[in-house]
Amino acid sequence: MELISLKNISKESKILLLRELGYDSDGEFVLNIDKTQVIDKYLEIPVRIENMVILPGSTIILDDNEISLSKYLEEFPDGI
Amino acid sequence: MEYDDIVEKTATGVTKGLLDWSLSSIKALAQKFRDKELAFIQDEETIKVVKEQLNSGELNFYKIYIPDEKILFLAKIGLTLRRLENNSERRKNLRDKVHQKYEVRGLHISQFVENGLLNRYIGILIENLISIQDLKDKIMKLLNEIEKYVLFVKAQDVERSVIDQVRIKVFANSPSIFVVSGISAGAEIVKKCESKITLLLTNYELEKISSERKENLFYKRVFRD
Repeated sequence: MELISLKNISKESKILLLRELGYDSDGEFVLNIDKTQVIDKYLEIPVRIENMVILPGSTIILDDNEISLSKYLEEFPDGI
Repeated sequence: MEYDDIVEKTATGVTKGLLDWSLSSIKALAQKFRDKELAFIQDEETIKVVKEQLNSGELNFYKIYIPDEKILFLAKIGLTLRRLENNSERRKNLRDKVHQKYEVRGLHISQFVENGLLNRYIGILIENLISIQDLKDKIMKLLNEIEKYVLFVKAQDVERSVIDQVRIKVFANSPSIFVVSGISAGAEIVKKCESKITLLLTNYELEKISSERKENLFYKRVFRD
C-alpha cells in the first residue's frame, strides 16, 4: 500500500481529488455529495480539508489524529 | 497521456515525493485508491507512531490484565502520548482530543500510562501477589476509579489545595497505594508538597520516581503490628 501525503498539496487539488471520489468541499470542511459535512466516524467531529486522510474501506475520510487512526487500524488491521 | 503512463508516472512520483496533481493524474490516483493500492494521509510519521503502539510489548502485557476495551484503548493512547514526548504540538493535540472524547477520567488513564505509572503500580501489586485474578481486579479497580487512587497535580494548583486533596482522597478511601503525579510545572509543585504529604501519610512509605520533567510519588500503605 502506497501512502501519499496530502500535507503540501494545494486546496484546489484536494477538492478535485474529493470530487473524483464522490465528495466535495466548501473550502474548509469535507462535504458529502448532499453537501452535509463528513464526520470523522471515530471522534464524531467534522473533517477539515486541511487535516483529512482518505483511507481504504469503502472510502473512509477521517481527521488526521492518533485516536481516529488507531481506531481505524483496529477495525481494518490491513487497511494501510 | 495514456492512463497506464499516468499511473506509472504517479507511482514514480510517490517514491520521489514529487506528484503531478493535474486533473489527469488526480483521476489516476483516485483509481489507484479505488483499487486499494494507495491511501491519502497527512504525515507518514503519525501512521508509524500509531502502528508501533498496536504491537508494542507493553500493550500486549496490558491486554492480559485489562479486559475492558475502552480502557485498553486509553492505555494504548497513553503509550502514543509517551512516544510523542518530543513533539509538543502533536502531543497537546492528542491530549485535547482524548479530553474531548473521553473526558477527564479518560485523559487521566492515558496520562497514567504515558508517565510509566501503570507499569510501576503493577510492579508494586506483584510484590504482594495473591492470584492473577486478584491482580486483574486491582488493576481494573484502579483504572475504573482512578481519581480515588491518583492525584494529578496541575500547573495552576497551589500547595495548600494539593495537600487538602491528598488528605481527602486518602482518608476517604484508604488506598493500599496512593500516587501523586506532576509533570513540568506540576512536578515542581509536587516536589514542594512532598515533605508535608509524607508527614501526613504516617501509615504509608514513599517511593519516588523522578525525572527532569516528572515527579511521581507512590505512597504504599504499611501494615504495622
